[in-house]
Amino acid sequence: MQRRLANVNTWTITATIIMILLVLPNLTILTGFVTEPNDNWRHMKEYVLNSYVTTSILLIILTSIFTIFIGVSLAWMIAQYDFPFRNFFKWALILPLSIPPFIGAYTYHGIVNYTGIIQTTLRDQFGLQLNPSYFDIMNIPGAVFIYTLFLYPYVYTITRVFLSQQAASLVESARVLGKNSFQIFWSVVLPVSRASIIGGASLVVLEVLNDYGVVKYFGIQTFTTGIFQTWFGLGDLDTSIKLAAYLMGFVVLVLFIEKLLRGKRQYSYSTTKIRPLPVVKLKGMKAIFASLYGWTIFGFAFAIPLVQLIDWTILTFGSIPQSVFFLAVKNSVLVATISATMVITFALVLGNFSRMVKGKLVTLFPKLSIIGYSIPGAVIAVGVVTTFIFIDQQLVPVYRFVGFSTTLVLSVSLMMLIAAYVIRFFAIGFNSIESGFEKIGTDFRDASRLLGANYTKTFLKIDLPMLKGAIISGFLLVFIDILKEIPLTLILRPFNFDTLSTKAFQYASDEKIMEASQASLLIIGISALAIIIFHKFLEKE
Amino acid sequence: MKKSLGILIAFLLVVLTACGNDSTSSKNNSEEKKNDGPEVNLYTARHYDVDDQLYKEFEEKTGIKVNVIKGEADELLERIKREGDATEADLFLTSDAGRLFRAKDAGVLQAVSSETLDEQIPEKFQDTDQMWYGLTKRARVIVYNKETVKEEDLSTYEALAEPEWKGKVLVRSSENVYNQSLLASLIEINGEDEAKKWAANLVKNFARDPEGGDKDQAKAIAAGIGDVAIMNTYYLGQMLNSEEQEEVKVAEGLGIFFPNQDTTGTHVNVSGAGVVKYAKNKDNAIKLLEFLSSEKAQGTFAEANYEYPVNAAVEPTELLASWGDFKEQDIPLSSLGEHNAASILMFNEVGWK
Repeated sequence: MQRRLANVNTWTITATIIMILLVLPNLTILTGFVTEPNDNWRHMKEYVLNSYVTTSILLIILTSIFTIFIGVSLAWMIAQYDFPFRNFFKWALILPLSIPPFIGAYTYHGIVNYTGIIQTTLRDQFGLQLNPSYFDIMNIPGAVFIYTLFLYPYVYTITRVFLSQQAASLVESARVLGKNSFQIFWSVVLPVSRASIIGGASLVVLEVLNDYGVVKYFGIQTFTTGIFQTWFGLGDLDTSIKLAAYLMGFVVLVLFIEKLLRGKRQYSYSTTKIRPLPVVKLKGMKAIFASLYGWTIFGFAFAIPLVQLIDWTILTFGSIPQSVFFLAVKNSVLVATISATMVITFALVLGNFSRMVKGKLVTLFPKLSIIGYSIPGAVIAVGVVTTFIFIDQQLVPVYRFVGFSTTLVLSVSLMMLIAAYVIRFFAIGFNSIESGFEKIGTDFRDASRLLGANYTKTFLKIDLPMLKGAIISGFLLVFIDILKEIPLTLILRPFNFDTLSTKAFQYASDEKIMEASQASLLIIGISALAIIIFHKFLEKE
Repeated sequence: MKKSLGILIAFLLVVLTACGNDSTSSKNNSEEKKNDGPEVNLYTARHYDVDDQLYKEFEEKTGIKVNVIKGEADELLERIKREGDATEADLFLTSDAGRLFRAKDAGVLQAVSSETLDEQIPEKFQDTDQMWYGLTKRARVIVYNKETVKEEDLSTYEALAEPEWKGKVLVRSSENVYNQSLLASLIEINGEDEAKKWAANLVKNFARDPEGGDKDQAKAIAAGIGDVAIMNTYYLGQMLNSEEQEEVKVAEGLGIFFPNQDTTGTHVNVSGAGVVKYAKNKDNAIKLLEFLSSEKAQGTFAEANYEYPVNAAVEPTELLASWGDFKEQDIPLSSLGEHNAASILMFNEVGWK
């Protein structure tokens, strides 16, 4: 009894410390919630708030529908059937995640605009000058198109891992009962994989709400553009925080809907052996159609933008200094690896903690940290700066003792950037780990505990091995996200510290998309490498 | 299982060691900055590759190491604000007088005076309290389709809001600071009511909802979506010198028109820099400012982005010279900042997206 208490306490203390660390910097932002509405707020309400709300809702709903449709259909197709190129598609369909949406937006606009390859070819080769509005993607449908292409892998990855590992026995039973594949999909696959689908889709929604690059360039007014406008343009932090509050209300709603949609039912491992689903070999037209579908998505979401980026890189190669790239690659990989490792470690501790403690309130605990994913990156960054400067000021005596001359040590170091990444992307890692824990259920743990192993030992010996898939996919998602990240990196980096995403962004924001292509290609290359390595690793299991 | 965990750990180790030599250096980034030699810390929102070369030249010339953080102006300013008196920043460099005004307004800059700066930078492009100094100059002009618009049809910014231009005007979104400064200048010159009327009428003349950047407005003229666009001069320079032949073609089909030559002058703006109030290396920051506005650096600094040098001793490039001299708005640049908030609210009210 004594020992168990001590055990729970270690976990409790660790989990609480992590929670505080994750939420603290955001609190500096939340203090503004209680301010009186001022003239700017009234102005916003009168003139623009409605359009922020409707545009944001429209973007979320449309993007969710499309990403779920594409993500789930691909996941199911690859989990259930065998067809030409299936093994390639398995990992290749994750690749679009490596293209930052704002780069995707610039690239696609570059392809379809007046001087882009499509219109130019039509004009010069065929003498066709079509109505330019056919090619206009700088609007809400265009933004949905961009988000869908580069964010569907969230849904695809999470759902596919689940289906190929979990659905075997259920689907087999259904097959034995003589259901056709459509019936199986509707009555078995969708219900059991609901949690993964909704989990993936909610990541997409948060990504969309948070995006600034695409909407800013396209001239679409959303919450995020409004927050920036009031904060920096009007210099009115209070009002911009009020907008952020609305946005957070949104996110809480999304998460609530997610919980609701996930429902009460839990499906956990029914046996200790995770059996992959036996695949059905497709023949003839069906096989061709399946391949075609895969190639279409892969083409639009990856191959086409990639070819365009390569083309631009070749065009501009001579005009860009090359020396900086080597260092930028190292910096990017370094911060992404450290931060992703930290995120996953924290997520494991918190995930395990909320399983140990049976209590509604505590399980909501980690959910709070998702706030970090819902607030625009720039807002978080300022919270982090404020927090770190505060810590630095408390530590001045220590610095003096050690012999530093400055008062800012932590806040000009890489620590601050890494802390911000962890706060920002914790939700992604946690989502993955949490669905992993949900799949395991608690039977094995309870058995292990009955046999006398303590919580920590059980965690290391029983849970961790079973969580491997979740750990790897969580790490991968966070790693790639950090490689692409813009606002935090721009604001919080130390002196003389360039990453690939900051290089890409600085060119793109000067309307020099061609020059941005090389850095973008490197981001894509590293992400692709990571995806391939981890995929091979997962396949080995 | 053990084996696979081993592989995973090995992978992480490989990555970490690959970056290991670097991680020490980035940990030492702050230490590295604390080299014993003289240095200057720059927060800049300008990110042209040529800037880095100029900083290197400065280093070679003076022995002062330039440490740089590049970012977006508003966010960098916010960071300096938050860092307060402990800030590491010595010099803050950004485009647009509106933003320089914001920095001054936020109390993060200090006044510096130097004979060299006064020689090199005309008073017009200095802050009235010497808190910031302009380094490059750009004009926000009208470009037009040479085939459908005659130059004599164009006259002023104000005239673009007349009904005859209905469905023909292209301009980017109001979220952009260049538009905010343009409207601010009209508020300064014509007063709030007139400026608001102008903005409201111009919106009625839009060929389409604002989208894309300045270059996209030029391309929309080529595509026949509209006939005239408001854009910054250097974007046209970039297009004329683009690696993409199609962009060059588009730019060649455009005429450039400097508005309000017979009235209040064309709207000009600057990029510039100010010494941070709590700078630890104030003298070095001034030296860097003097270097960047010197005859030697001005050419490169402005030319990199097809901008006009502020240093009168420096000849503008051939391209800029070919556009000819023009009369500039005669208003204090700080007024662009003073009316910035008003212009943002005005854009919202008239529905300029």
